[in-house]
Amino acid sequence: MQYVIIGNSAAGTQAAETIRKYDNAGNIVIISDEPHAAYSRCLLPDYLAGERSEKTILFKSANFYDRNNIDTMFGKKAVDIDSESQKVYLGDGQTVSYDKLLIGTGSSAFVPPIQGIDEPGIFNLRNLDDAVGIKEAAKKARRVVVVGGGFVGLEAAYSLYSLGLEVTVVERLPQIVPGQFDAKAAAILRNDMLAEGIRIITGDGIKEIAGPSLWNRLFGKTGKGVLLDSGERLKCELVVVATGTRPNVGLTAKTGIKVNRGIEINEYMETSVPNIYAAGDVAETVDVVSGELGLSPIWPNAIVQGRMAGLNMVGETRKYSQMIGMQNSVEFRNVPAIAIGLTRTPDDYEEIVIHRPHLNYYRKLILKDDVLKGMIFVGDIRRAGVYAALIKKKVPVTKFKQQLFKESFGYSSIIS
Amino acid sequence: MKQIFVDIDKCTGCLTCTLACAAEHSSSKDIVGAMLEKVQPRISVEAVNGKAVPLMCRHCEEPTCVDACMIGAMQKDKETGIVSNENNDQSCIGCWMCIMACPYGAIQPNEEEGIAIKCDKCNGREVPACVESCHTGALIYVDGKTFAQEKLTKTAKALTEAS
Repeated sequence: MQYVIIGNSAAGTQAAETIRKYDNAGNIVIISDEPHAAYSRCLLPDYLAGERSEKTILFKSANFYDRNNIDTMFGKKAVDIDSESQKVYLGDGQTVSYDKLLIGTGSSAFVPPIQGIDEPGIFNLRNLDDAVGIKEAAKKARRVVVVGGGFVGLEAAYSLYSLGLEVTVVERLPQIVPGQFDAKAAAILRNDMLAEGIRIITGDGIKEIAGPSLWNRLFGKTGKGVLLDSGERLKCELVVVATGTRPNVGLTAKTGIKVNRGIEINEYMETSVPNIYAAGDVAETVDVVSGELGLSPIWPNAIVQGRMAGLNMVGETRKYSQMIGMQNSVEFRNVPAIAIGLTRTPDDYEEIVIHRPHLNYYRKLILKDDVLKGMIFVGDIRRAGVYAALIKKKVPVTKFKQQLFKESFGYSSIIS
Repeated sequence: MKQIFVDIDKCTGCLTCTLACAAEHSSSKDIVGAMLEKVQPRISVEAVNGKAVPLMCRHCEEPTCVDACMIGAMQKDKETGIVSNENNDQSCIGCWMCIMACPYGAIQPNEEEGIAIKCDKCNGREVPACVESCHTGALIYVDGKTFAQEKLTKTAKALTEAS
């Protein structure tokens, strides 16, 4: 049996490890366009800040591939799949046959169509090479503009700030972290970053990124100008674009695999084409809160999907129990924050809120018919998982609703 | 594999287990030292409707905290079954993903050091410190099967006595 896995991150490595647990004899091949051993993308900001090295962002032990007898084809890009003859074509002309194939290609940075955005000195922060590039460029830079006020943008901003750069974050929407938190939570996180000395501009877009003037170029200067929709002009030497990601589905073009935004899979991680599975950022699964098919590009879901894909690939048929698509935990500076499920309250839903912005404390629970649908914890994140479990398992909270916001609420309140 | 079980009826909420836990996880290994070092206990005793309920990590079969750990520091040891983010190749970064994932609320943030802390069953100690310190026998360290069998016998006994 030949198992081929395209993608060497959370889903891919987890699938490989799981396959090896059940199939000692089969061949496992991991193909990755990156030359590195599996590293945690989530830790790239820490790498950028110099807090972690290329070694300490690896999430598997050094002997992982040997121990699990995995063939690695790193630095090779899978460019095409022939699902009839069951072959994967690589960029360098090689072909790899498979009996079972897992697509765990993840996602790439989305680059908005802005004039001047493909000039040198403009970076994404999606993979290790990006981070290495930014780090190098930061040495010669004094000012940086970060485009996008989501997690990646703000973490990059904080990392670059800690390297000593002057940082301005520009977010098109009226609040930072618009995808993950509501306005109240965002305001607390924003104030925390402002206190550090990072400038944040919201509700303003990027009109154009202008390169250095001819005069400056003659003197070897790299300065740029970022022109905002409002007309304001920000000077900088470095631009980091963090405006979201898109799943890497290009590989599926000729296979007939059903693709919406990501690859549609069933509860056995199977795509619409036999013997091809998908997991992680590239896959679309049913969200437990909304009941709808969608992307859930977060680490824990990639791991679980990778494991489920592995199990089903070896024939240990197991159903994927739905996960919460949105679960995020973050701490930019001093204030930890966690959001799970819904973060904005729909009209006919109930909302319970404690808001103490002066203490950097905010808690919100969203309920529908006494079932938790979403939550935001800012400042105190203890026992967030207990609430997450209530959301995931759709447990009616009627019996202990009055205790939900007590400091002492926990697992024991549910079982007693 | 031995697990820490709780006989809730026997717990009086004396909190000795929390002190023993802190002492065990301090460098001085005694209670006063633990207080000076400000060691956080990894077991908590909660008051629910006037009753004391000890709560600690269950060292799950398929731990959600391990799945959530984005640096691979949280691992379940294949031999001992202990789930811990310490003494592994990877080190905890304090991203709190495990806290978001644990349905028991058994992982605590250590904000001072910026790492998550949890029960490690005293990392190979024959009897975990909390169990050893428990005077009422509310904390029990036995094999899961033994515990289930004892509970079965107890319930059966209670039923026959009642009838």
